[in-house]
Amino acid sequence: MSDGPVLDVRRLCAHRAEREVLRGIDLSVARGEVVALIGPSGAGKTTLLRALNYLTPFSTGEVYINGHHLRPGMSERHDAATLRAVRMRVGMVFQSFNLFPHLTVLDNVMEAPRTVLGLEAEAARARAQSLLARVGLGDRADTYPQLLSGGQQQRVAIARALAMEPEVLLLDEPTSALDPRLAGEVLAVIADLATAGQTMVLATHQIAFVRRIAHRVLVLVDGVIVESGAPTQVLDAPRTDATRALLGRAD
Amino acid sequence: MWRAVFIVLTTALIAFAPAARASDGLAAVRTRGALRWGGDIQGGEPYAFQDPQDSTRLIGFEVEIADALAQRLGVRAEFVQNDWQNLIPSLERGDFDMILNGLEVTPARRARVAFTRAYYEFSEVLVVRRGDEAVHGLSEMQGRRVGTLANSFAYELLKATPAVDLVLYEGVEEPYIDLEQGRLGGVVLDNIIANRYGLVRPTLRAAAEVAQGEYAIAVRRDDATLLRAVDDALAAVANDGQLRAILARWQLWDQRQATLTAAAPLPSSPAPTPGGGLGMVHGMLFLRGASFTVLISALAMSLAVAGGLLLSLARRYGGVVAAKAANFYIEVFRGTPVLLQLYVLYYGLAPVLTLNAFTAAVVGLGLNYAAYEAELYRAGLDAVPIGQTEAALSLGMSRGLALRRIVLPQALRVALPGIANDFIALLKDSSLVSVITVVELTKQMTITAVDVRGWLAPGLLCAALYLALSYPLSRLARRLERRLLPVPA
Repeated sequence: MSDGPVLDVRRLCAHRAEREVLRGIDLSVARGEVVALIGPSGAGKTTLLRALNYLTPFSTGEVYINGHHLRPGMSERHDAATLRAVRMRVGMVFQSFNLFPHLTVLDNVMEAPRTVLGLEAEAARARAQSLLARVGLGDRADTYPQLLSGGQQQRVAIARALAMEPEVLLLDEPTSALDPRLAGEVLAVIADLATAGQTMVLATHQIAFVRRIAHRVLVLVDGVIVESGAPTQVLDAPRTDATRALLGRAD
Repeated sequence: MWRAVFIVLTTALIAFAPAARASDGLAAVRTRGALRWGGDIQGGEPYAFQDPQDSTRLIGFEVEIADALAQRLGVRAEFVQNDWQNLIPSLERGDFDMILNGLEVTPARRARVAFTRAYYEFSEVLVVRRGDEAVHGLSEMQGRRVGTLANSFAYELLKATPAVDLVLYEGVEEPYIDLEQGRLGGVVLDNIIANRYGLVRPTLRAAAEVAQGEYAIAVRRDDATLLRAVDDALAAVANDGQLRAILARWQLWDQRQATLTAAAPLPSSPAPTPGGGLGMVHGMLFLRGASFTVLISALAMSLAVAGGLLLSLARRYGGVVAAKAANFYIEVFRGTPVLLQLYVLYYGLAPVLTLNAFTAAVVGLGLNYAAYEAELYRAGLDAVPIGQTEAALSLGMSRGLALRRIVLPQALRVALPGIANDFIALLKDSSLVSVITVVELTKQMTITAVDVRGWLAPGLLCAALYLALSYPLSRLARRLERRLLPVPA
């Protein structure tokens, strides 16, 4: 692997129903870096994350990710090979978990390694078991996701994404649907990943958590990155009104 | 409370039951001013059929005979349409006063109804393809498929002929179509039918006259006064040349008919033999019919489940052309009767695609039900949240893999109760394939009902068999649902 950025985004713009949701985003993420994306609801955080593996198409700009090039106007049909290559290396954790209800917890985690990577059943099972143990759910492998708490479900979703050994993990407000106690379980897992050197881009409202684990913070407002820098700099000495408003500071 | 309901229901049943028959049928006819005669216009030209020039008018040599008889009795004739196979039960029910519709005199029928003298002498004609030069009679038909109308004189004749594979039809055109297509080795039917429907086809020829018999008018056994009056009227019509004129007008007069004027009324028939209950033979026949029902339904459903899936996927992912084609298919097959589709598939397409009856039954039902299954899959696919596909794609799955491993299993679970329900419906709809000569459970029941002269026992047995098939099926469906969805989402 090269030492260049894992992820490189240039002048990215995206529209949704005539409205410009992203207006010229530039972003580069280095290997092992944890980038936090904060901003008010509707600022474009989710759209940006989804554009990075092309779940949401963008209208102009470019994304270079792990040696692949995403460009506007790609189609699921004609660019299937490129999109698959990108998505295999980019993990995604959704706000609403999106676990597969017809599969057990273990099968949720094993599914992609088996069918996408072609791992033998035993190897896939071993990998899934160890990931479930890592997120604290080693004993729930044979149950169904619907029987788990939200926090547990999100931890399974993280294990599922990690099972593909992604270069970069995208987390879209992973704790927004959870109460504070359950959110805590999930944040602990994410902090553990950060310590282990997992490259991550995390959209969140958990400012205190961002301060603790992020290497860099981006403030996204109305589709534009208005401020970026180390957490201490952005969170403790915000330079824009928008950031100050977001952090709930009157000064 | 329940007592009251019971009384109301019983009263209603009695009120709607056919009016008790007057023992003096002639007096009833005179009082009414109309002689009601039963027949089936599907028997077609020249018996009694709709005037091609004026569809409100009924014409045919039997219409003219009925009018002549009514005139002699001083009343008017009134036609009552009735399925030909069930003319006798309907007569017994009191739906009309007499049957005048190519009803051949047979010992079995004489034991059940009273016949007047004959009004037409017919012969049974064996028709074969022109290429079949070696055939001179029924003896050459051994081991071959021979078609005729269900419950006809020829049916009785063929049943008594050893080693003939009997194929039953409900219309007069279809057996000759099948003969031309090579699906039959021969057809035995009354000469009138053979001449008008079979021998008009240049590829067919008459091989032999295999029997003779007569058409007569049937009235209820206990209707002595009406029998005498109608028979007298018929004698008068025959003796003064009117009958000859009618038959001649319809090109039916031949040497054989010369005996008609001299005919005496048929001697009174022997006492009715008891209806004869259901025996082991019938039981075995029913089981055979039931196994056909199961086999056809299971094969047709497999076809429908696979075809429906293809249709629903074509509609969703196939692009504009495939989606339009799938939609068109679904609308056509859902929007037209399956009976019509079976006719078109079996008879309509016969010149270009000759399917045997069993294949046509499976394919016909399968194609029809595929349209319904496609709609069920659609509902199932709609019920799977888009987030499921996105999660699968984000793991690097191709769209096909995501569909197969993630979306379809969940969609199927939603569709399954409907599919199981359709299978049960199909089990019963499979009775429709009797129109293309397949003898399944319901058809077996109607045949047996005529054999044992009663609908009740065969009907109950038939119903019991259908229930025995469908109930385990609905249980199985529920088990399958639980397996597909161990824990509610």
